[in-house]
Amino acid sequence: MVHALNEIQRVLAPNGSLIDLRPMMSNWAIEVASMREVQEVGRVSDLPEGLEDDHAANESMAKAEAQKQFVREQEEFFPFFYYWDSPNEMKEYMDEDWSDIITIDEDTWKNVQSMWAVANADARLRIRVKMMITRWKKI
Amino acid sequence: MPLLKDPERTERKNLHRFADFAGKRVLEIGCGDGRMTWQYAKQTKFVAGIDLEADDLRVATIERPSDVPASFVRADSIRIPFANEKFDLAILAWSF
Repeated sequence: MVHALNEIQRVLAPNGSLIDLRPMMSNWAIEVASMREVQEVGRVSDLPEGLEDDHAANESMAKAEAQKQFVREQEEFFPFFYYWDSPNEMKEYMDEDWSDIITIDEDTWKNVQSMWAVANADARLRIRVKMMITRWKKI
Repeated sequence: MPLLKDPERTERKNLHRFADFAGKRVLEIGCGDGRMTWQYAKQTKFVAGIDLEADDLRVATIERPSDVPASFVRADSIRIPFANEKFDLAILAWSF
């Protein structure tokens, strides 16, 4: 990412801005959501590769800031939800797209299935991804 | 595939709170299939999206609305194929 930041600085006009928008590893919550209620039924487990990626990206931005390439102007966190119709669909997606960054342990999986079995008819299963958005200004 | 991604549109709301896209020349790094690009592109002067995934770029190109000034290029972020100071705004999109 350090090399990417050098390139981004090169192609940005003076006083240009960089928006860094990415998910942060934080044992994302698994929730059963219906019109009536939202219930957290467990947490995913972060894997080392995901945590290392987070760390590397944060370090690269800190380095760019220390080297006075960019200055941080604003930073916030917000939730981003993925919804599925069933635990199996959620698990399938996790295995295909997120297998290198998160996993779900056996106890959590059993809890998800049992909570899903008694959920309201309109319920959906969702994962609450923690997103970070930062605006940087080119110096 | 998930049934839905971000139906609350929190990503779009936050993106627009953090950046003024009006008339801007925008570079989106990691644009993928353009899912995020379409959330802001209409307001820009133009958008260039880069990504390494050729299949995703093909989808973005096919799905580009005719009134959206966007183009997509297969490129790596460590060698961005554009001239110095060409953009007003860059977006690092979902870079793990």
